[in-house]
Amino acid sequence: MVKLEDISSLLEASAHLPPKAPVRAPSAYKPLHSYALDKNRSYKQQYGDMYFLRLAKIKPAVEEVAAKAWADTEIGGERAKRVDRVLDVRQGELCWVAGTVYMDMKLKPNILEDVSKDSWLSAPISSQKYYSDDGSDQTMLEDDSGRVRLVGDPLSTIPLVTGCIIAVMGTENTHGEFEVIDIKVPDLAPQPERWALSRAPSAAGKAKSEDTEMTDSPSESGGKKIAIVSGLSFSGTDASYDLDLNLLLEYLLGEALGPEEQAGVSQISRLIIAGDSISTTTGKEHEDDDDKKRAQKKYGYDASAYNPLPSQLFDEFLSELLPSVPVTLLPGAQDPANASYPQQPIHTAMFPLSRAYAADAAAASASQPGWFDTVTNPWEAEVEGWRILGTGGQNVDDVFKYVESDDRLGMMEAMCRWRCCAPTAPDTLWSYPFQEDDPFVLKSCPHVYFVGCQPEFATKVVHGPDGQSVRLIAVPSFSKSKEVVLVDTETLEVSKVRITSR
Amino acid sequence: MDEAKKYLSDRLLSEEVPVTYRLLSRALNLRVNVAKQKLYEFYQSQNASRPGSVHAAYLIYGSKTEDGHPDSGDTDMDSSAPEHEPLSDHVPTKTVTIVAEEKLKEVLAEYEQVSSFHIYSLAPFPQRDLAMLSDVSRSLSEYRNAEEPAKALDTYGIIANPQARKRDRKGRPQILAPTAPKPITKQESQASTPKPSQPEKAKPEARETPSTSADATPSSSAGKKPPATLKRGASGGIMQSFAKAAAKPPKPKPKPEPKAKDEDTSMALSDDGEADEEDVLPPQKTVDHEALKRARKEREEALMRMMQDPEEDVREEAKKDDEQSDEEMEEASEPEPEPETEPEPEQQPKEEKEPTEVVSNSSNGRRRGKRRVMKKKRILDDQGYMVTIQEAAWESFSEDEAPAPAAAKATPTPTPASSAQKAKKAAAGKGGSQGSIMSFFSKK
Repeated sequence: MVKLEDISSLLEASAHLPPKAPVRAPSAYKPLHSYALDKNRSYKQQYGDMYFLRLAKIKPAVEEVAAKAWADTEIGGERAKRVDRVLDVRQGELCWVAGTVYMDMKLKPNILEDVSKDSWLSAPISSQKYYSDDGSDQTMLEDDSGRVRLVGDPLSTIPLVTGCIIAVMGTENTHGEFEVIDIKVPDLAPQPERWALSRAPSAAGKAKSEDTEMTDSPSESGGKKIAIVSGLSFSGTDASYDLDLNLLLEYLLGEALGPEEQAGVSQISRLIIAGDSISTTTGKEHEDDDDKKRAQKKYGYDASAYNPLPSQLFDEFLSELLPSVPVTLLPGAQDPANASYPQQPIHTAMFPLSRAYAADAAAASASQPGWFDTVTNPWEAEVEGWRILGTGGQNVDDVFKYVESDDRLGMMEAMCRWRCCAPTAPDTLWSYPFQEDDPFVLKSCPHVYFVGCQPEFATKVVHGPDGQSVRLIAVPSFSKSKEVVLVDTETLEVSKVRITSR
Repeated sequence: MDEAKKYLSDRLLSEEVPVTYRLLSRALNLRVNVAKQKLYEFYQSQNASRPGSVHAAYLIYGSKTEDGHPDSGDTDMDSSAPEHEPLSDHVPTKTVTIVAEEKLKEVLAEYEQVSSFHIYSLAPFPQRDLAMLSDVSRSLSEYRNAEEPAKALDTYGIIANPQARKRDRKGRPQILAPTAPKPITKQESQASTPKPSQPEKAKPEARETPSTSADATPSSSAGKKPPATLKRGASGGIMQSFAKAAAKPPKPKPKPEPKAKDEDTSMALSDDGEADEEDVLPPQKTVDHEALKRARKEREEALMRMMQDPEEDVREEAKKDDEQSDEEMEEASEPEPEPETEPEPEQQPKEEKEPTEVVSNSSNGRRRGKRRVMKKKRILDDQGYMVTIQEAAWESFSEDEAPAPAAAKATPTPTPASSAQKAKKAAAGKGGSQGSIMSFFSKK
């Protein structure tokens, strides 16, 4: 409860205005191009290889975990023994086996159905969830040999989605189903040290020894921060949060607020925009016009329906920010990038004003990353020494459809523990058909894993068996929540700033 | 001080439009923190003489008592844990609120602690709809200084970043030169169209600009050049610009094109400034940018490899040597009177060096054979630009004796660094006057 009288002094605190504006903290930044695709990629190949690769890469890890856990498991005098392939499971024998989960859900779009119905257009996804609570959903475990249906109580305790790799222990019953007694997941991948790839700035030498658990730094204003925002949704039609976007700009530039707070803001060393910067939804009245104009469409595209304003506004926004703060831009579902995972960087031609700060395309390979870095989604980088994994949110949104709960953080945690940041690709999450490598497999565990465009803010830290700890952050859409997330780069503590107007 | 007062009373009392601290700072080149102060002083003095004449909106920053749950009244942060997202850690939240003075008290009551509090805007009427303020900030874009954003940061007291970097154009020593004309034109246009809404504006601008242009002009030797080349670029054809733009991606931040004023509005969509500027390059570049040239060649090669059109990949071979010298290309581009359009191209791998025609059979008053012609190909380069390139290809022909005068053939390329398109263009121009009209059609 603050009274006006208490703070009115702030209004006239002009006598000691600092002569100079504060200087922005530097940003140590090394993006990894884990999800960059070849420009001349081919789309002719089959998707099956992705599952094969994923299983091949994760199976050893999950088998190691399972072997450790179940080595001496005896039930009814019978020892659980390892079975190589799903097909080798024998009825009545206690055994464990690793494989890929496949969820058979009647609400889930099924490519085989589309083919058999001879419909080649992907139908609009109608349902919010694939999950149905009438118990008709089936969980399967499969590998390259075959598939077995899983039943049993443990299935209801752990959320599972198509494409994740697990090991199950149990027996096959007389119906040919596998009675699951226990489930193991690969768990968190090995976590690199801080500053594993980039060199710590000499001033931050002390940071080397610090762990994520370290807390005793002045988190209020002391440490450097990274700002993460998503869902800016610059719109040509909806002006309801224009003022909030302006305030966000003023806040990040250090124009708003008083001198002391501006100094705090100057510690924000980087802004990460995690998807959906541009809103493509048009107003209602617009759609009526479309019906009339449809005749004029050329090649199925009505050029007059294109509204350049959103990207123009976004470009202006960025070009004002860039002189002061470096920006990393991930594409999201709404952004002008390819729709399938991994989304490739938004082309800088979209940003006539801001692209002067982008990386020099000719020299991009060798030199430093662009000050304005348009990156892939998902995206991996080492920022201030921390390994950061971020996505525009589609991976979580898709996993969300498989499970009953609304616990987005839980899904993010599960993805880390499955060692796969997009398990549902390529089944329900559109994906590039990878041949040689499944980049969605997490070879190393990030320190920070953020996901953009989520319905609400959430964060927590999860820990792994080998002392790993991951800061999970669900970043809300700014257009809805008006929130920007700040991550302290020393403690990985999270705070947020909310912008409102009355 | 007086300036601020005058500006504010003009805008608020005469024109009756709201003013934010940012607008004030942009209009008078003040630091934002000073501008906030000016707003406050004006608010005080006005309302002292005439209460209610000016209404303020405030910006409050601090932590709220209980995020979104003012009813609980508990100041302990942890108590919000068992709310709708129990799975998430609770994090400290700061809230920025803009509030009209009428509601200030009730909003302040929600705050537990306020660390920043200042006037955001003044308006001559009660600010019910704060969305109006976003219109004000839209008008800020006309104050934007595209050339010197860093300087702007300093002027307005925005957090500066010494690390900020733009990509710089390699092989372009005088970046500043082309920008020199711009500030001047800008100033002129501003002076000539004085906005009634910002009477003060022109003055500070005028004060500013001379220094900018003075900064820019020292490289006056180079300063001479751009206008000439710009003209050439304009006539140079869109093809040319595209090919070059693809070869040299960097984009200069200073926009050198003469259309200075409308930049604010149309720049976002227009790209021709860049194209024009690309044309400045070739003349200077001949000597010291061998590396660049080589890179371009390699690139061209890669491009050609990419476009394996079934019917056209035969010409691959022929094309290889055209990379060796541009003169050759020029010869090749020499238009022939009536090239027979019976595309049955055969491979002529060994035939490369000089000849552009191989007459295999000349009897009966007809010559038959193959000749080198330039073909256009359009491909997507690896940055996603559409690039039209020319390449030599063999084409069989059959025509009357007395071939076209081969006189113009060996014209040396005037600018070796120029691209194939240029050579082609020159040749085409010449050929147009000599050949028959058929050559015009068959070339396309």
